[in-house]
Amino acid sequence: MSPDPSPSSPRFRPASLVAAVVLPGLGHFIGGERLRGVLIAVGVLGLFFGGMLIGGIDVIDSREDRVWFFGQALVGPTAFAVDWAHQTQFKVIDPATRQLRTAYPDEGRDAGGVATSGGTPPNIKSINKVNDIGTLYATIAGMLNLICILDAGWPPRRRHNPAVS
Amino acid sequence: MHLALAYRPFIDPLDLHAAWYMLIVPLAFGIALTYKAIRVGDMTQYAKQVVVMSIQIVGAMGLLGLASYLLIQHVLPRILPLQ
Repeated sequence: MSPDPSPSSPRFRPASLVAAVVLPGLGHFIGGERLRGVLIAVGVLGLFFGGMLIGGIDVIDSREDRVWFFGQALVGPTAFAVDWAHQTQFKVIDPATRQLRTAYPDEGRDAGGVATSGGTPPNIKSINKVNDIGTLYATIAGMLNLICILDAGWPPRRRHNPAVS
Repeated sequence: MHLALAYRPFIDPLDLHAAWYMLIVPLAFGIALTYKAIRVGDMTQYAKQVVVMSIQIVGAMGLLGLASYLLIQHVLPRILPLQ
């Protein structure tokens, strides 16, 4: 016979764990902690999209900023969707090297994705502190979401017991 | 000027190069908002704890910045003066 778990030992909730990976806060929401779920979603997605608001879509880049993307990817499918859009809908193919890159300010993008002289670039590349801080926002969002995912999968019992602070 | 007129939210970067350090305030608030959502047991204390943690983060970063300034501008030149 196994001993009773202590009041602070976690119990595993696989459905909440999977839901938390799919969308920030969803794990807590379906686990009955709806307010926590909403607050987590606002916090994580607010930081992630706040980073994009500051630095543009350029801050989510799995090719040029791979190490940072490892942290950003912890936001879940949202981060992969934004990165996919960045790579396929915004970057251009350099006519000389055939490599993907951000269009220069005086370049456009044709139907095949190749950089063309003139026109409006699909996006402007962010530089300097604005790029640094935008990238940091999105990466911290992912790292915080990892804590939230673990908390959704293994919620601490002491949080639900007011007698144990 | 051209870039400011063409600004597209979430696609193009904001022109905040002159005030980048102010961005620590919403960053600290976002971190506190998320962390306290899973940390606080009694949710009636949530708002207060978020405000306190946000102030703690901004204050700690300010103190670290001040310490770095003093070390680089005043302490190191005395220890290792430029030749």
